[in-house]
Amino acid sequence: MRKQLLVIGLLVFGIFLAGQALAHTPLCSCYDNGDGTITCEGGFSDGSSAAGVEMRLLDGNGKVLIKGKMDEDSEFTCKKPDGPYKIQFDAGPGHLVEVDGKDIVE
Amino acid sequence: MKKIIFVLLGLAVLALSVPAFAHFQMLYTPEIALEKGGQLNFKIVWTHPFADEHTMEMTTPTAFYVLSQRGEGKVKKKDLKDKLKPITWTGKANSARAYEASVKVRSMGDHVFCFVPGPYYDKHEEAWMQQITKTIVNVGGIPGNWAEPAGLETEIVPLDKPYALWTGNVFRGIVLSEGKPVSNCDIEVEYINHDALMDKNAFAKSNYVEPPQDAFITMTIKANVNGEFSFGIPRAGWWGFAALGVGPEKEYKGEKFNADAVIWIKAVDMK
Repeated sequence: MRKQLLVIGLLVFGIFLAGQALAHTPLCSCYDNGDGTITCEGGFSDGSSAAGVEMRLLDGNGKVLIKGKMDEDSEFTCKKPDGPYKIQFDAGPGHLVEVDGKDIVE
Repeated sequence: MKKIIFVLLGLAVLALSVPAFAHFQMLYTPEIALEKGGQLNFKIVWTHPFADEHTMEMTTPTAFYVLSQRGEGKVKKKDLKDKLKPITWTGKANSARAYEASVKVRSMGDHVFCFVPGPYYDKHEEAWMQQITKTIVNVGGIPGNWAEPAGLETEIVPLDKPYALWTGNVFRGIVLSEGKPVSNCDIEVEYINHDALMDKNAFAKSNYVEPPQDAFITMTIKANVNGEFSFGIPRAGWWGFAALGVGPEKEYKGEKFNADAVIWIKAVDMK
């Protein structure tokens, strides 16, 4: 009886774990607001929120200029720097999206 | 002489048999599964998408707006009525008033475009009609509110993403009137059988396919007791679904009134 309960318990736990491993690609898209700021929207392909995900603005040499987080609407706004730059949306290992500043347009 | 008589007879038969059904309110933009946001050009035409035997004159539109949502975010509503510009659309047989709109869509997620035309008086039916129409666009692959009712008095709510269909997929939807499913209603299904020439405001003269018989021009299917329907998509391109007369209003200016719920889908070949 105990063994059966243990097996069932493990199976249920296994299903619970499987539920967490959804197909889940990170997505990030940025645009120029035309007022000296840029806004990035983040998300995942299953629609789940990107609130709290770390955002980094790097200059042309890879130096981190600004560090921030996606807000509760999964958005991040910062001042647009002069010269070449990159935005990084970092949701953990294997979940990094990089956007080149030259692709960020109005 | 005999030839002329035959031609005249043929034309007379055609004139008498102009179908009162098969009207479709197009809310057309060439791409609805976009990688990035941008400027969307819409052509809004009241016509017969498969046979293109007659383009109808549109009256002043009642409403045009978009409901946008990305993931778990808030749904944002944007009124687009002021973007509508009257144009003349040319079909095979005639030209008539239609509308166009250029809409900037920037955010990732779903954008549910809703269009309510002005009521149209159909002489053959001796009734007013109005096709409340939805076209859903997705940017960037993040889903949003595609499966949520838009809150229209009548609408088709998709059970499959209208913008992410391969040729051969089954498209399913639920017909709602005042938010409640409409049992066993008739739904017309029609394919846009010509290139829509955006620069010329016209349909191309040639058809993609020829129907073996009239029942293939406007295909009629039925919803089940729960208001659900399904349709296997045989060819890439645009398919319109119109649930007939399902709107709650049955009278307009003291005459019969039929509001249909319409949704557009686009299928893409798997290559």
